[in-house]
Amino acid sequence: MKYLFINTSTKKLVISIVVDNEIKYDYTDDNSSDLSSRIMPIIDEAFKSTNLKPEDIDTIFVTNGPGSFTGIRIGLTIAKVMAWGLKIKVVPISSLELMASVDSSKEYIAPLIDARRDYVFAGLYDKNLNQIVPDKHILLSEFKSLVKDKDVVYVSHDEFDFEVINNSYDILKVINKHINDEGVNPHTLNPNYLKLTEAEEKLKEK
Amino acid sequence: MDTYILAIESSCDETSLSIIKNGSEEISTVVLSQMDTHANYGGVVPEIASRMHIENITIVIEECLNKANMTMDDIDAIAITYGPGLIGSLLIGVMAAKTLAYIYNKPLVPVHHIAGHIYANNLVRPMEFPLMALVVSGGHTELVYMKEHYSFEVVGTTLDDAIGEAYDKVARVIGVKYPGGPNVDKLAHIGKDTYDLPLPLNDDTFNFSFSGIKSAVINLAHNEEQRGNTINKEDLACSFQNRVVDILTKKTMHALTEYGVKNLIVAGGVSANKGLREKLTYLCEKEGINLTIPEIKYCTDNAAMIGAAGYFAYKLGRRADLTLNAKATDRLN
Repeated sequence: MKYLFINTSTKKLVISIVVDNEIKYDYTDDNSSDLSSRIMPIIDEAFKSTNLKPEDIDTIFVTNGPGSFTGIRIGLTIAKVMAWGLKIKVVPISSLELMASVDSSKEYIAPLIDARRDYVFAGLYDKNLNQIVPDKHILLSEFKSLVKDKDVVYVSHDEFDFEVINNSYDILKVINKHINDEGVNPHTLNPNYLKLTEAEEKLKEK
Repeated sequence: MDTYILAIESSCDETSLSIIKNGSEEISTVVLSQMDTHANYGGVVPEIASRMHIENITIVIEECLNKANMTMDDIDAIAITYGPGLIGSLLIGVMAAKTLAYIYNKPLVPVHHIAGHIYANNLVRPMEFPLMALVVSGGHTELVYMKEHYSFEVVGTTLDDAIGEAYDKVARVIGVKYPGGPNVDKLAHIGKDTYDLPLPLNDDTFNFSFSGIKSAVINLAHNEEQRGNTINKEDLACSFQNRVVDILTKKTMHALTEYGVKNLIVAGGVSANKGLREKLTYLCEKEGINLTIPEIKYCTDNAAMIGAAGYFAYKLGRRADLTLNAKATDRLN
């Protein structure tokens, strides 16, 4: 089976092609600038270097947030259109779960994305990527008290005033976890922002 | 042989797809407007617009192809509005267009949003050159001289606000609901020209300025309020509209004489304005000018116009590659 993996939701861009549990192409970098220009040529390179075509892909795995709103939409638009056009199965993955795929000696992994004003996007996962605390937009202090009694490592690409590890992702681990997922209709494959827009929040307050 | 362009437009709050044959014949168009949503906020909220574009993009593509009873195999090229506009909105269309071009191996043709508005006229009847285009929208007020296809010489532009912005501001001052422009136009037709407002930038250039008259309306409303008088909305709308239509038409007719041009086309959202249409129709008839104004459905943002412009850009060999980016601002080209 052939898989395309796309992540533009976090600060670590990932484009991978996996064939039968083996990574055939892997692009990762920590540069989230100018994504909209850079990403299609990287995908093109992924296919060229593996001698594959988009229509050869059996499943697209794509992160659908939380994270940078624009970043999420860039990868997800590609996945939506590709899955719709070529009738490929598409499976959304939480970007926090992808971050939690780190190799760690701790029992639990807590991925954090800085959401400003003391808020984070955060979740809690075990080593097998089972979700212990659902992904949420939450005050950092509140989240920390939620997990304080657990044997936990914090994973983040952002800086905090406590120790976090800035990990590489284990794409195979994530794919294997979701290999039997049913997939979603591309029309309903949408971002999971975990946060309303400011305009919507203000309207709700009224 | 016939050429079919699949066009995508997502520069503001409309997700639109269209299939256009030979740059002049509309095969199918789908416009999914977000206007009702943004009306809750008194104007377009960029982040909400982006969110709605991504939710709708594949649905609109599919509907457009189904409506035309065509598949991607029938399409010769993909035309995309790359700018100017709201960057987050543009990005959804641009990423979708690049992905379609990539997976179906089709040429990708970048189209400037204003070129699209101008070429909406080619859907009415074939454009005849040389021509003068009066571009009036929420972001633009320009006189563009074209001696042939895709040759754009901007001979006049606004020095401050675009005409559509001035309309929206005046709408807010006199308490008219979003979208302000069309509603002020409606009131203007009921009211009388009773308020003393200045004729904006009444000089010999082809440039425009609307900040002065905008301030005049604000001050007038404020002063009347201070004196405890209520303003007559209809009359103020009528006075404002008469003044801006006067200067728009005066400078347009002047430009036509100066450049010796007999063809005038009107483009952009404000070309739906009834006051402007009536005055231009009257003046052009009097002066023997060949006037084209698109139907209302082609005046507001739509992908049909991008397909028309995209056809001529395609024929001229204009192409974008997979690095194409959305641009919030860009010179008409």
